Amino acid sequence: MTGRRGPGRALVAASAAGVVVLALVAVLATRHAAPGTSVPSNLGGRPAPPAAGRDLLTGRRVSLAEYRGRFVLVDFFASWCAPCQAEAPALETLAFRDRRELAVFGVAVKDSAANARAFLERTGATWPAVADPGESIALAYGVADPPQSFLVAPDGVVVGQILGQVSVAAVDRLIAAARRAGA
Amino acid sequence: MDGVIGHVGVALGLAGALAAIVALVLGQVLGRRALGATAPTYVAVMVLGGLVAAGVMEHALVAHDFSLAFVAANNSRETPLLFSVTGMWSALQGSILLWTIILSGYLAVLALRLRRRLDDAVVAWALVVGLAVAVFFYALMLGPADPFAATPGVPPPDGAGPNPLLQDNTLIAFHPVFLYLGYVGFTVPFAFAVASLATGRVGEGWLAATRRFALVAWMFLTVGIVLGAWWSYQVLGWGGFWGWDPVENAAFLPWLTATAYLHSVMVQERRGLLRIWNLSLLVATFSLTILGTFLTRSGVVQSVHAFSDSGIGPALLGLFAAAVLGGVVLIGWRGDRLRAPGSIDAAASREGAFLVNNLLFAGFALVVLVGTVFPLFVQAIDGQQLTIGRPYFDAFGLPIGLALLFFMAIAPALPWRKAAPGVLRRRLVVPAWTAVATVAACVGAGLRGLAPLLAFGLAGFAGASALRQLALAAAAARRRGLSPLTGLVGRANGGMVVHLGVVVVAVGLAAASSFGQRAELTLRPGQSARVDGHELTLLAVRSFSDPSRSGSEALVRVDGGGVFRPAIDTFRGDTESVGTPSIDSGALDDVYLSPVEITPGRQVVTLDVVVQPLVVWLWIGGALVALGALLAALPGRRRRPTDPASLLFPELAEELPPAVGAVR
Repeated sequence: MTGRRGPGRALVAASAAGVVVLALVAVLATRHAAPGTSVPSNLGGRPAPPAAGRDLLTGRRVSLAEYRGRFVLVDFFASWCAPCQAEAPALETLAFRDRRELAVFGVAVKDSAANARAFLERTGATWPAVADPGESIALAYGVADPPQSFLVAPDGVVVGQILGQVSVAAVDRLIAAARRAGA
Repeated sequence: MDGVIGHVGVALGLAGALAAIVALVLGQVLGRRALGATAPTYVAVMVLGGLVAAGVMEHALVAHDFSLAFVAANNSRETPLLFSVTGMWSALQGSILLWTIILSGYLAVLALRLRRRLDDAVVAWALVVGLAVAVFFYALMLGPADPFAATPGVPPPDGAGPNPLLQDNTLIAFHPVFLYLGYVGFTVPFAFAVASLATGRVGEGWLAATRRFALVAWMFLTVGIVLGAWWSYQVLGWGGFWGWDPVENAAFLPWLTATAYLHSVMVQERRGLLRIWNLSLLVATFSLTILGTFLTRSGVVQSVHAFSDSGIGPALLGLFAAAVLGGVVLIGWRGDRLRAPGSIDAAASREGAFLVNNLLFAGFALVVLVGTVFPLFVQAIDGQQLTIGRPYFDAFGLPIGLALLFFMAIAPALPWRKAAPGVLRRRLVVPAWTAVATVAACVGAGLRGLAPLLAFGLAGFAGASALRQLALAAAAARRRGLSPLTGLVGRANGGMVVHLGVVVVAVGLAAASSFGQRAELTLRPGQSARVDGHELTLLAVRSFSDPSRSGSEALVRVDGGGVFRPAIDTFRGDTESVGTPSIDSGALDDVYLSPVEITPGRQVVTLDVVVQPLVVWLWIGGALVALGALLAALPGRRRRPTDPASLLFPELAEELPPAVGAVR
């Protein structure tokens, strides 16, 4: 910086900086997004935490434990969450395709019971869904933000997790994988 | 409906920016002046589009239009008006919208100021570069960061509401806006740097023409950073104000390089030196604003500010790569031919001191950058997770900060070119004795510890040096028959006010971080406890509930005077409780009451109490820095004709701010 040194100094410095920046960009481009809301659950292979309460639509008591013997998709949702609305048709299909194979069990998270009930009525959901006032269910499943779903095998063990919107294909894949694993 | 109009606004903005680019490029390439002269009209169209989009977003937020997914996720019917308005920048898509309209505004000011010079290649290409950045952000809003995406299906009856941390304090309304005004403002000097390099016209003072943009952007960035620190102090409840979080570093990095630039650009104006260095600093500053945004918005680093799950990471990384590599290629291609003749004559000169200052700032930036991205490199190489925390940053930051204080004292007293023997001694005798007296007084008052005593002493040194300069400027103004207050105006004198602000901040920082006390108290109503000389009495524990939140608060009387109410709130629709600290702020110290547990039923309160001296001076110092930067941006004394003016086109003088263009 002081005085005239040999020509090409800017070129050398710029090249060096360029190499460093390329390395930086390469590293940054290959990093996966850090787990923000999408923390893979460590529930896999463990018994599903209990979930029970009054059904938001019918008012009768429902519990996840009643569904032992079938696959259950435990779906955490909220009325304000856009993907939760978008996934409603997929849930509808899953809930009524073969009731002996798979049941859907909704848990409203970060939402008031009234809003969640209105949401269910609007989307035409007729599967059991409970409110989670103390967030104890969401906490047990480690759910911070809806939508998030867990597939519980007939023996009551968590065998899969879907972060974000549910699709029929994703659930089918999880069921198939669980079957292969001998569930 | 809002969604449709919003999309139209964004598309209009994009079209305006593209049209302006086409007009300018064709005007340059074909040599058609008239074509280039139409660009300001298209810039106006771009601004209009941006304003429509922002207006629609605000309307949707205030009217709780949950048919927009962004509104449904960040607003609820109970959200107060202020936080509905500020909801625009409470999440990713809206903050990109804010970024875009601020950038559009800056470009509009630029196009307006230089509308008669648009046929000049440097101006035209600079505007093209700025507009290209605008195109990038408008395009982001049509793609991965669409603020006007519709809620699928039927709109929900109510939204989720903003993050509870973002609806508790009015500072949040202003911190992001100032930060973005700062971040985005550096686009203009960057654009001129690229244009100067591309056209090979480095020595012409176009950097000086954009100095005021850089100064204003720097002021906004400073205010944004200070407000962020203040907000985190008031809201987050840990009693601290700076945590070396990646997003804080992301704001601090461009601040460091911009501060270096604001000093070294003076060397270029006075002596014509350091041209390539200055351009490099501008490229670095702009690139760092983008890198910082990438780091915090892509989710590659964990941060309290990270918006996860966004698809804009790759795009931002691409912009960062393009900006840096473009700059690097231009500098490599042009740099050696554009180097200024001449050199710095003596180390003991103003330019020598600026050079040291620049090396310190650049070194500081490197340290912070390495600390921020190093964990990613480690992870890339051997898959290890690693975090770099406070000790690393403090270990480097403390000596660099002290060295900066030292040079801050010496530099203003040094003459340009070469200091005659004895000059420095004569000019610094009073500041040096002030430093000695400060240290003696601190030791006498019972303060111990090498770092804080050094900091106080050097702060006295630098503060006295800055005051001496201001006193001289006031005396000179008086001699010329002007009010002594004009001695505060202009770059050099405003700069000294900035220095005073930095000294105040440094004192507050050293005191708060060295002499803070922390205690955890469990109290029942009627009980008292003493923490670091302060008497705290718990008066009562109460529950409260209103439409937007419910919770419990403790009423604590501090020193027999005011009653403070640390609380634990639960916002409606949210499960996490948020502790709201309450602070008894004083000139000498702050008593920070942060709730750990408040149980109204059992009438027991556990509080985390932090007593830190001089915290309030951090904010006062920050305000002083901003004031100084404003004064520096005002036109000061005219340039002396003997000074080597970097402006080669006197006819530009009318177009340019007087401080830059006043060649008589």
